[in-house]
Amino acid sequence: MTTKAKTRIMMAKFGLDGHSNGIRIVSKWLQDAGFEIIYMGLYNTAEGVIKAALEEGVSIIGCSFLEGSHLFYVKRLVELTKEYKMNNVKLVVGGVIPPDDVLRLKELGVKEVYTPGAPRDVIIDGIKALTL
Amino acid sequence: MAETKENYDAYLAGEKPPNYKTLSGIELKQFYTADDVRQKDGVPGEYPFTRGIHQDMYRRRFWTRRQQTGFGTPEESNQRMKFLLSQGQTGLNCDPDVVTHLGLDPDYPLAEGDIGLAGTSISTLEDMERLFDGIPLDKVSTTIIIQPPGSAVMMAMYLLTARKRDIPQDKLIGTIMNDALNQLVGPTVEAVERFFPVEAGVRVGLDVMEYCVKHMPRWNILNINAYNMRETGISAVQEAAFALSLAADYIQRLIERGLSVDDFAGKIAFFCSMDIDFLEEIAKIRAMRRIWAKMLKERFGAKDLRSCWFRAAIQTSALRLTAQQPLNNIVRATIQTLAAVLAGTQSIHTTSYDEAYALPTEESHKLSIRLQQVIAYETNVTKTVDPLGGSYAIEWLTDKLEAEIQPLMRVIEDKGGFIECFKRGWVEEQVNEARYEYARRIENGQQLVVGVNVFRDEEEIKIDLFKQASDMQERRKQYIKAYKKNRDQEKVDKALDRLYHKATSVKRVNLFIPILEAVEAKATTGEIVNTLRKAENFEIRL
Repeated sequence: MTTKAKTRIMMAKFGLDGHSNGIRIVSKWLQDAGFEIIYMGLYNTAEGVIKAALEEGVSIIGCSFLEGSHLFYVKRLVELTKEYKMNNVKLVVGGVIPPDDVLRLKELGVKEVYTPGAPRDVIIDGIKALTL
Repeated sequence: MAETKENYDAYLAGEKPPNYKTLSGIELKQFYTADDVRQKDGVPGEYPFTRGIHQDMYRRRFWTRRQQTGFGTPEESNQRMKFLLSQGQTGLNCDPDVVTHLGLDPDYPLAEGDIGLAGTSISTLEDMERLFDGIPLDKVSTTIIIQPPGSAVMMAMYLLTARKRDIPQDKLIGTIMNDALNQLVGPTVEAVERFFPVEAGVRVGLDVMEYCVKHMPRWNILNINAYNMRETGISAVQEAAFALSLAADYIQRLIERGLSVDDFAGKIAFFCSMDIDFLEEIAKIRAMRRIWAKMLKERFGAKDLRSCWFRAAIQTSALRLTAQQPLNNIVRATIQTLAAVLAGTQSIHTTSYDEAYALPTEESHKLSIRLQQVIAYETNVTKTVDPLGGSYAIEWLTDKLEAEIQPLMRVIEDKGGFIECFKRGWVEEQVNEARYEYARRIENGQQLVVGVNVFRDEEEIKIDLFKQASDMQERRKQYIKAYKKNRDQEKVDKALDRLYHKATSVKRVNLFIPILEAVEAKATTGEIVNTLRKAENFEIRL
């Protein structure tokens, strides 16, 4: 048996939006599924998360939004990942996101967007597929 | 076709729920009889008020239709509030944005992306005047959703707005929520204590309460936010026990300030959730009324029966909204609103069906009011008081919930009270466990949700969603910068200095008047709260 290093995922909320139900639940699901979670919690800047992601060597950044600031922050995150040439780091978004914005986020380069009611297995399988 | 057959086979085999428990986990019997009912509660309007606080209840006046509003600039929110009033809403309920909630201004660096999103941006006295432009403050009752220390600033702005219109403060009707622990997203230390110290927040809240008790006879000083706690996924039992325990802490502290319980207890109200478990939620409100009445009389020695009135504002649970098949949310909200009415509550916000995606549109907001009006004017459930009183199942559940809520309240009391439990992280542990359990129950099918884990549709239905004006955040940033430039800075500095000195004086003094004077001198929400932070030697921890 070979032991493979766990995939590292950073989980973060941005700006002042403090709604943490979603990020708490999904973080636990992913941890239970064998991923290593770096929980950044609330009140992050895009710059802060990118810096931490570089230091921690994560392969996925999970971003959680409820209040509607998703486009504002994802645009910045995408710019920063380009600036730092983080070609191997994938962005995933979860939260209260209107359908039109799901498309816009994907156009910006977000790999997956999960909205309320997304089943655990769909999320875990989706994340696993991103790490292949 | 295969699915049709599957559904029909299941029907023939007997359709069973996965369990016979309430959302709180209480096992229900096949049926109840008179033998199951322990307590006899007499009539509505009599102690301990299990059956309601008024004998005539909705026969005299329906509940207040009080939809929450708040987005973008104060002007935009003012228009929406006027629209709701024109549709038959009978009270206002305004929510500042998270920037204001945290005691910051729109020019605070981390605020940029959040300005005006989930509430309206209120930084200046001018903002408050615009928010309530053309609204008669002595006729319409208003709830202001804000926690300390921001509650002191909002209360001051509201008072000064009234003063400019020659409305005396003793004529103002409404509520300042003023709950230091739960306003943000329920009782999580993670959300609250990084922007202001908890104890200092409670203290400023008490300052506001003290001022209102003495000068504003028609104003409610505290609305315990049980709703935001519940929305994290905790049970009805926890919601009730947490909220009542927190209220007990505040009562204790107000008494320690020298106030008599009958001077203020009648001005404390609750903001509760109506979740989807119809019977349990009705029983929860009935049990909370009984526990509150007994607590006030037996533990705090209230003499005035009004002190024993448990009054509740209700919001139908937004946690139960599904993004899948959003029209189903109208059905859920109808059932929840009916439960709130049958429980005999004081005001109701019916959550709009589109809120699993965004803030409500004008149209969905209006539908929420119409939904309440249909129940009020068409169904006749309002024509007799506590129509479910005496139902074996309801009475048994009321007793059962009381019997579970009270021991939990004792656990909290033994640990030093709710505020202490919050600071120590005990509450947050309970909340996190409840969140995981909530998700687990949906995942393993113990909790069925139509459209989510049963009866899913592959195709998604499109609904019109609310959109913010695209330049709103930029306009607010520019506004606050211009405001700070075009004022008498010396006056502002002096007022903030005075506030700082009062806040750091050896003998603790009530800070409400110095805060009011700072607002009058044109200091902003962020500047005033920053002064309080400085006085506490506190820096925002990001």
